[in-house]
Amino acid sequence: MIFLRRQLPLLITLVTGLLFAAQYYVPHPASEQMLTSATKWLQIVGGFALILGVTSLFHQHAVKIRRQEAGWGYSLVLYVGMLGTIAVGLWTNGKESVEGTMTAFGWIYNYMMVPLQGTMFAILAFFIASAAYRSFRAKSREAAVLLVAAVIVMMGRVPLGEYLIPLSGDVSSWILNVLNSSVRRAILIGVSLGAVALSFKIIFGVERSYLGGGKE
Amino acid sequence: MSDVNSQAFIGQRSVCMVVWTLLVFGWLCSSALAQISISAPQDMRVFDTPSDGGGSLTVQWAPSSWDGPDARYQVLAGDAAVTDPAALTIIAEFPGNSKYVKDAKTAWWTRNVDKTWHQVLVRSAKGFEVKDGIFYAVAVAAVQGDQRVFSQVLVASPSPDWFNWNQLNNLIIALSFGGLVFYSISYAKRHEIFLRRIPGLDAVDEAIGRATELGKPILYLTGAHDLHDPSTIAAAVILGKVAKRAALYETELLVPHREPITMAVCQEITKQAYLEAGKPDLFKEDANFFITADQFSYTAAVDGIMLRKKPAANFFMGAYFAESLLLTETGASTGAIQIAGTDSDHQLPFFVTTCDYTLIGEELYAASAYLSKEPVQIGTLLGQDIGKAVVLSAIGIGIVLATVGAVTGAQWPQLFLDLLRDLK
Amino acid sequence: MTFSEKMLKIDRRIIFLMIGLCTLLPLLYPVGLPIKTSSEVRGVYDHIESLPEGSVFLLSIDFDPASKPELYPQAIALLRHAFKKNLHVITMTLWVSGTGMADQLVTQVAKEMGKENGTDYTFLGWSPGGQAVIINMGQDLYSAYPSDYRGKPTKELPILEGVRSLKDVGYMVSLGAGRPGVEEWYVFGKDKYKFEMGGGCTGVMAPGLYPLLRSGQINGLIGGLRGAAEYENLIGQKGKAVAGMDAQSATHLAIIALVIMCNLFYFSLRQQKG
Repeated sequence: MIFLRRQLPLLITLVTGLLFAAQYYVPHPASEQMLTSATKWLQIVGGFALILGVTSLFHQHAVKIRRQEAGWGYSLVLYVGMLGTIAVGLWTNGKESVEGTMTAFGWIYNYMMVPLQGTMFAILAFFIASAAYRSFRAKSREAAVLLVAAVIVMMGRVPLGEYLIPLSGDVSSWILNVLNSSVRRAILIGVSLGAVALSFKIIFGVERSYLGGGKE
Repeated sequence: MSDVNSQAFIGQRSVCMVVWTLLVFGWLCSSALAQISISAPQDMRVFDTPSDGGGSLTVQWAPSSWDGPDARYQVLAGDAAVTDPAALTIIAEFPGNSKYVKDAKTAWWTRNVDKTWHQVLVRSAKGFEVKDGIFYAVAVAAVQGDQRVFSQVLVASPSPDWFNWNQLNNLIIALSFGGLVFYSISYAKRHEIFLRRIPGLDAVDEAIGRATELGKPILYLTGAHDLHDPSTIAAAVILGKVAKRAALYETELLVPHREPITMAVCQEITKQAYLEAGKPDLFKEDANFFITADQFSYTAAVDGIMLRKKPAANFFMGAYFAESLLLTETGASTGAIQIAGTDSDHQLPFFVTTCDYTLIGEELYAASAYLSKEPVQIGTLLGQDIGKAVVLSAIGIGIVLATVGAVTGAQWPQLFLDLLRDLK
Repeated sequence: MTFSEKMLKIDRRIIFLMIGLCTLLPLLYPVGLPIKTSSEVRGVYDHIESLPEGSVFLLSIDFDPASKPELYPQAIALLRHAFKKNLHVITMTLWVSGTGMADQLVTQVAKEMGKENGTDYTFLGWSPGGQAVIINMGQDLYSAYPSDYRGKPTKELPILEGVRSLKDVGYMVSLGAGRPGVEEWYVFGKDKYKFEMGGGCTGVMAPGLYPLLRSGQINGLIGGLRGAAEYENLIGQKGKAVAGMDAQSATHLAIIALVIMCNLFYFSLRQQKG
């Protein structure tokens, strides 16, 4: 059992990790073919994993409905929405339009999904404003510098800002191109080194907590 | 017409005549010179493109004194049996002052000629297919106006290669860094290493403690990505530590997921954490649950959980996109302690503004070391820091050299800068 | 509770109302302020402008309806430009939830420009795998997409004649709202298969992609609605993005005013507390 739960996964990780790290340096079509096959297999495994997810989702909400927990009505909406969309999708063969005519599935996409997703994204503008009002305070010198930079960039990125303060466009462009880029590069270098180190640890089995279970 | 005017008129005409004569003479001379100077491309070579996946030949030839925008080059290719270059198919045509070795993105150690030479790749194009193992005839023609001068016809065959020598530097750096990390781990096992405070992680206990006091759950998100992404793995590792403490304090843990495989892995991690904490009976299989892979549907669902269950502590670890502010702002409105950790640099401003603590960039990877204090983890951090010092030194040296080159106009700094550029 | 304290704890719905009005009013009563073109947007425009007629242009519409307000106008402007230049336009998406929207978008612009499906352009649709699709396309486009969105075999499409893989693409632009998007196209596409590429993204993501731009990994970047408006100006066809710039101006100024106000209240409160 310990072999199946520990040693075999670690062995698979080691072999595949080294193989695919090496793949990056091998331009031969065989190596590219191996990568393509592996990515296709990952898609297939991912597809089956979705069953796991959907089972978890249905179970979670079935329990809520059965126990009539707080907000169980939403769980009912989820069941109706999901099963309804699947049924309509199967009925219309997954097509949103047939010869220019919108299908029922297309109607769900255009008049339910598009506006709902648009609404969620649009909330962002309101939340940015409320978060800025609540948190963007010059509590320290560093915060004050951030505040000034943010105001300049906000001014420089819109025509009215550039109209009121003509220099703001160039200054905001400089802030984005020079200061912003260099800081982000610094973060990226740190992140990349961290990611490479973590990858090495996983490949060589030094980091194994992602498998669940402690040291043995 | 007065005399003065007529003299001026004659004078103007004379000047015009002279200018015209000069212009016509100049044009005749220049066209005659151009006609004379065009010659067949010299020292041409054709070979299988090195370090590639096949299906390509490289053509190189020496630059000529008449290379310029007026003259053009044609690269011709066809069946190996063809000996007359005029019978070959034109694969590429371009001005004489373009397509140099220096334009090809190859490293200096793979170059076999000077970077001022011309270089063109012959690949499959419309009506012409290049297949591995088959020989092709290739020629280069210099063209100006109606004049066309051919090089000799050379034959070569493309084949795929097993190693990309242009990426040798990358391999050496990766192996060196890997070696450094493992050396640092062994060093950390033998020595005590100082670890700077990460306030965000100090607050983990505080957040779990608060949730326990209030009798409210802890919400833990692992981000938008699957386990391909190191940040999701780091988030899963930290989940183990958080779950262990939540088990010790007997506090409810909620982990909604966007990816089923991550959910399955996190279930195992949580189960093990409860076992290690000695509270296996408190473990709930549905503490980790799947919502949806869709960004904003997931966000809406998690916001709903926040508003209904009002968790006392929210953890946002892993990779995030536009949903970050929607999640954290809703969390802030419920009064929860919020701790974020992400390497998605574009979302950092939102996390910093709305969360109580934020682990920035690689702090997310350092978190497991900080929480566990294991030598293996701390050693890795040491390795990363040495790696960063090396990168920083290269940047510093590059800045000094580029500045010296710009100020003095000297060419030698460029050689070192090229070296650093190829070592990227 | 002092006035400053009250103002600092103001009901956020008042802020929402203010932002809502600042968005709505300029849309109803547009002013039409002039828009300056940035070098990042010009980078994409100039490259498309330099492409000879018949060059292969690949547009990956990597967003879903959520990002439609910002990225849809970018896609329309880019397609109009490409069609005007008589390029061979290949379109696709890596986001399954954006497939229907992308199809509508491409069909609408192609119809407006009098272009024919299969000959002047094609919409390949969505294929599962995200970044794996990019790798597959780099090796064999026909196997990554055996048929287009309408079900026609890609090998039989006149527009894809001679376009076997990403190596045959003249220019590629990814309009991405996340992952997979611009970064994935660079890492798994351009870096491996060597083609020139540009990017487009939401306003929030744009600062994060500047390092790619500055290092030449992408040759241009269209950022958010502002970028789309600049592109519309460049091609001389003003659309929804230009119309939206007044609303964005007002919203930005409203946020600046809010930040200034909150700091005034904060400092007055600090003074009161000594």
